[in-house]
Amino acid sequence: MTKKQRLELLKTKRGKFQPGPKNCLTDVRGVRVGHLTLDQDFQDESGRKIAIRTGLTAVIPCDMKEEIRLQAGFFDFRSHNEITGYEVEDDFCYLNSPLILSNSHNIGRAYNAILTYGFSIRRVEIWPPVVMGIDDSWLNDMDKSSIDEKQIVKLLHDSSGSQVEEGSLGIGLGLRAFGWKGGIGTCSRIFSWGEKEFTLGVLAASNHGNKPESQMKNPMEKPSAAQTQGSLILILATDIPLVPFQIRRITSSLVVGLPPINTLKNCLDSVTCFLFSTANAMSLKNDGPLVFDFSLVDDSALEILIRAGAEATREAILRSLLLSSPVQGRLGRKANSIPDQEFQKILNQFQDTA
Amino acid sequence: MKRRNFIMSVLGGIPLLSSKASSTQILKKAQSSPSSSARKRVRELGIKIGDKEPGPYNAITDVPGIKVGHTTIIKGKGKGAVRTGVTAILPQEGNIQEENLFASYFNLNGWGEMTGIAPVAHTGRLQSPIFLTGTNNVGIVYDAAVEYLRKSHKEDSGPSLAPVVAECFDYLLSDTQKRLITKEDVFRAINKARSGIVEEGSVGGGTGMVSFDFKGGIGTSSRVVSMKDKKYTIGVLVMTNTSDRSLLRINGFPVGKEIKGYEYKEGNSKSIILVAATDAPLLPFQLKKISKRVALGLAQTGATSNTGSGDIILAFSTGNKIPRHHPGSPRKIQSLNDFWITPLYKATIEATQEAIINALTTASTIVGRDGNTAYGIPLDQVKKIVEKYESLKNKQHD
Repeated sequence: MTKKQRLELLKTKRGKFQPGPKNCLTDVRGVRVGHLTLDQDFQDESGRKIAIRTGLTAVIPCDMKEEIRLQAGFFDFRSHNEITGYEVEDDFCYLNSPLILSNSHNIGRAYNAILTYGFSIRRVEIWPPVVMGIDDSWLNDMDKSSIDEKQIVKLLHDSSGSQVEEGSLGIGLGLRAFGWKGGIGTCSRIFSWGEKEFTLGVLAASNHGNKPESQMKNPMEKPSAAQTQGSLILILATDIPLVPFQIRRITSSLVVGLPPINTLKNCLDSVTCFLFSTANAMSLKNDGPLVFDFSLVDDSALEILIRAGAEATREAILRSLLLSSPVQGRLGRKANSIPDQEFQKILNQFQDTA
Repeated sequence: MKRRNFIMSVLGGIPLLSSKASSTQILKKAQSSPSSSARKRVRELGIKIGDKEPGPYNAITDVPGIKVGHTTIIKGKGKGAVRTGVTAILPQEGNIQEENLFASYFNLNGWGEMTGIAPVAHTGRLQSPIFLTGTNNVGIVYDAAVEYLRKSHKEDSGPSLAPVVAECFDYLLSDTQKRLITKEDVFRAINKARSGIVEEGSVGGGTGMVSFDFKGGIGTSSRVVSMKDKKYTIGVLVMTNTSDRSLLRINGFPVGKEIKGYEYKEGNSKSIILVAATDAPLLPFQLKKISKRVALGLAQTGATSNTGSGDIILAFSTGNKIPRHHPGSPRKIQSLNDFWITPLYKATIEATQEAIINALTTASTIVGRDGNTAYGIPLDQVKKIVEKYESLKNKQHD
């Protein structure tokens, strides 16, 4: 099947909710996304071939020049990679900064770049930066893949609300999922509640579902010691008003409701599901008022949101497989695009649990 | 002697306040006077904990809408004696199942039981009164709570009942295997629940509790905090059965170490249940943070949350009332801005410390199972020791 045909096939398997106009995360108003891709080959001092296959993907949740912060929260399942800002998200449940997905070794400079960016636009409070690490060392020479901080700051400035590119770019370049090329996938859904229409957008970075080290016969296949555990990161945004305990329910439900990625084959894989709402925003002006006025939706809204979210997360993960072009990288390793038959298998897995 | 009379005589009755007395006089008395005339609240000893002002009754009932009621069960002497009971905290005047309050909890040390935690954690809401009792009574109290909630449960309402029943092990003074508590005892505590003055000490769920190797039980306190143009109240009620005498501190002074006499058996320290309530509009994640400050208040008394101590904290807010169902349009709620919240944390810590010390100073001596005795902490010694350290502190500044 051609890529177009596979996308058509995916379209027919959609659930009951309609996608947004661009069918991507930026359908949620105010959200911006950008990719920075690093694709280089060179030789190091000892003559060894180095393959850099990495990048960063940034999600700007709202206009950072506006003195507001957003309600946020996450559910992390066996997360073994670093998530900066974890304690603040866990305890205070609000998002104050852009989100960056980067490889594990670039977390520090991404963190610093967010601070630089915040200072440069004179944002009242940019702390804490939220950076999520992914181990892309199977395809990427992670040790040598330092990204110039200035480029990261530029990425944050350049992120836009236009169509989000998917596949083997940004942090997606070096990812591998289900034994095939993984990467970035995104989509959105429109849902109705209380006579209003709302949008939910998802961005997935798939690096999970691969064969564990113990099952690899070919030494070429064996990952570095660090990479025996895969990870899936889901970033969600919505414009329906939410408060933190609701966000927790939604994110935990979405993770638990994921199709069988958690077979005994990949029982060390982690999932991080991060959700923020652009409604119920909190003003930071003069440290904000004494008391905030928020809107509280009821359980019926959460139910719709979880169902729309389940559809959207599935499609985003499937698109990350469908749209990621093959990459050959470190030690000559190759991750091929998922073949039709394999894709059909996974598609069926995802559909069965719909 | 009839059991009812015995209970009444042990309680000592509540001081009658003349209707002619001015409101300030009434409030001052209420802030300091305990139910039993021989015992006193810590403020009546001239000891001021922290520097913020308490509410009118210096009790959890200073948060408007909250009511507290006790049933105290005292039966028999020596072998097989029972010293137990149940305390009911009604969180608001309406139907808590139809109008929920936001709530959260903190499990400081989990060797204890507080039922209803999973629903609170999952929904962020309190949908039941809070019952405090002895460990082995939990099942019976829970059953009674279910029956009580079922009566006010609307037919078409969704999720099932979520009673909150918490416990401490009153084994030292009470024959806990007998479980001599009935559901009528629970209903009575609910019906007797009142606003205003809260009975403290060896009453209700606290009847058989032992804390810091003295008589423990029910204690309460409150603080009023001014923030910008608003005033908020935080009230704490505890059922204390925890910690060792040598650790006891009041306002940081090592009181427990210096008390003389009053023999006791070591190693009896068990649990403490702490309930905090506020009219500040707080969301569940903020109430979790309040619960953690309650733990800091517990630490002020010197308690170390031993491995066998079930130290569980529940916090709820009356600042938002949320209908069980509100389909359709979103509901307006409020949330205190975290930037301004610190004074409320400090108030929580003060009120928690004072609630625990109040439990000790108001609790009257109980002779229980097999003649085991827990003495009411000697008030004269407590007063003297604190005064000594206060004057030492003042001398330092000379």
